[in-house]
Amino acid sequence: MKRKVLSIVICLCMVFAVACSKDKTTSGSGTTNKEKKSETETSTNTKNQAKSKTSKVYLITMDQMDQHWVNVDAGCRKAVGELSNIDYEWLAPDVKDDAKQIECINNAVAGGANVILLAANGPDAVTSALKEAEAAGVKIIYVDSAAAYPAIQTLATDNEAAGKTAGEEMVKGLKAAGKTEGKIGIVNVNSATASCVAREKGFRSAFEGTSFELLETQYGEGDAAKSKDIAANYITSGCVGLFGANEGSTVGIGIAIQEAGDTVIGVGFDKSDTILELINGGHLLCTMAQNPDVMGYEGMKTAAKAIAGEDTGEANIDTGVTALTKN
Amino acid sequence: MDKIGKQNRIKRILAVRGMGQVITVTIGLIILCIVFSIVNPIFFSGKNIANLLRQIAPILIIGIGQSYVLITGNIDLSIGSVIGMSCMISATMMTKGVNPWAAVFVTFICCLAAGVLNGELVSRCKLPPFIATLGTMTIARGIAQIVNNNYNTGSIGEAAKGFRNFFYYGKTAGIYNAIWITIVLWIVFNFLLSKTRTGRHIYAIGSNVDAARLSGVNVHSTTIKVYVVSAICACTVGLMTCATTGMGTMDAGNGYEMYAVAASVIGGVSTLGGQGILLGTVVGASIWGVLQNGLQFAGAPVAIRNITIGIIVVVSVLLDVVVRTGKHRKKAN
Repeated sequence: MKRKVLSIVICLCMVFAVACSKDKTTSGSGTTNKEKKSETETSTNTKNQAKSKTSKVYLITMDQMDQHWVNVDAGCRKAVGELSNIDYEWLAPDVKDDAKQIECINNAVAGGANVILLAANGPDAVTSALKEAEAAGVKIIYVDSAAAYPAIQTLATDNEAAGKTAGEEMVKGLKAAGKTEGKIGIVNVNSATASCVAREKGFRSAFEGTSFELLETQYGEGDAAKSKDIAANYITSGCVGLFGANEGSTVGIGIAIQEAGDTVIGVGFDKSDTILELINGGHLLCTMAQNPDVMGYEGMKTAAKAIAGEDTGEANIDTGVTALTKN
Repeated sequence: MDKIGKQNRIKRILAVRGMGQVITVTIGLIILCIVFSIVNPIFFSGKNIANLLRQIAPILIIGIGQSYVLITGNIDLSIGSVIGMSCMISATMMTKGVNPWAAVFVTFICCLAAGVLNGELVSRCKLPPFIATLGTMTIARGIAQIVNNNYNTGSIGEAAKGFRNFFYYGKTAGIYNAIWITIVLWIVFNFLLSKTRTGRHIYAIGSNVDAARLSGVNVHSTTIKVYVVSAICACTVGLMTCATTGMGTMDAGNGYEMYAVAASVIGGVSTLGGQGILLGTVVGASIWGVLQNGLQFAGAPVAIRNITIGIIVVVSVLLDVVVRTGKHRKKAN
């Protein structure tokens, strides 16, 4: 008798737990953005009026907090506003975590997704979940970062092209300052970070055919203090330009130029308060910022095409960078 | 008469434990400086020397802390993370509008707690120091990440200008404050190690912990003291990093604990304990800094720099071992 009661209690507990967890995952995404919810509601209303079939598109990012993802979401919503027949929802784990991202993918499939726009946490962790999703008829598009699984399209920043843009901005800045030759110092993170290595490669390619001398790359581990020391050494050895390959490196070159008070041209990567402050103070020429809104916007357009069975174009789209200068 | 007096003084200096190694590496340091000056004359310019000293400063400060711990025969792997923690805690508070000096005080207390925790784990709980400080290393890095919700902080702003000048940018009597702070810390801790009873206890524990305990040395409190010294040093470097960059970086100080070990070991501090003087750490940190700086001026690829530094660490310790075993053999004969 006791055992029976116990088993019933346990069963009830399990059901309760399942119900709770389901509630959490769906409400978690829903409550993050009330505005978004209302927008999708209104869009479904208009769709109902048009009496046409709606398709479900999910955006799944690495987390919800980062401004970067908020901007991707904004791009998606802008596209949804222009398109019809799209029911859009943004799902993301509360923190960057492989298991939680897989959960999001499974939830999207269960929610009847037609297309998933995914910013993969890592190349391998989500592949089996994606395989299942595709088997269930879901189309996959990558935004920002791809996983090692074939998809319709990948919309991301081409780091090499972005590095080249940075190099061109520097050449422009140097010419404006009346300099046509001199040494250029490069502060990178380390030799293992693929994105930063690609940025450096692109940066170097922009100097082909000029008489500037590109010095041996120095690695500051993305540590602003270490990068500052390296940049100070570069300035002492007479560099006319400095390049930082990520946020820490860029802050490092910025504060070194600020302290030296020299007319060294600094060009960096990524966007942060400190970097923008250094640009507005005139210590850095510009910084390369990614375009997450373009990723979201163009990603959603591709999703609509894929749903309609139209040609989606190239497999890899470079969403480019914007050079942020003193305003 | 005078000559004999002079000889005695030299003998007395040479009799200090670890002095032999200090002299060898000092000669090495001088040779390095000469070579770098020949390769690129800018290396020896006034501007670069001012920069170079400031680049050596943090390595030397954490080297002092690590030397203290190494002399007792322990190790502190948490130094790098405590730097990160100190940098993030102080920067986060300053961005939230706390008075910079109050922020410094709170940061200091937090780092002291990390030091005491290390000491307690090693001496009271008898954990191997490698494991205990590996644990605090991870915890401290976690704290560095959590204080600002897993993000680097923004700029600490104009209000912290005094703080930034005090720890890094300002000059007193023509020399950067960062260098002054290092000098003051070195004098204080060198006095503590070479002239006080606590200092002698530190050496005693490193030479033979049981003998020290039996002769009435309080091993527990002395161990806590060395870890606290190490934490104070790491805290100072963390504040210096925050002052340098004007923001908090979660990854600040990543890998610095090994720089500290290298600076100590090159300078003749034995990882087995009981051996070494802080003068050696100065030379060790200088060699490290000169290599980093000089090889950049020489235009050497980073790979070459890493290889060179690795070789120098191994050779300098090897030299010490060879000299010591040689001495033992002589005594045995």
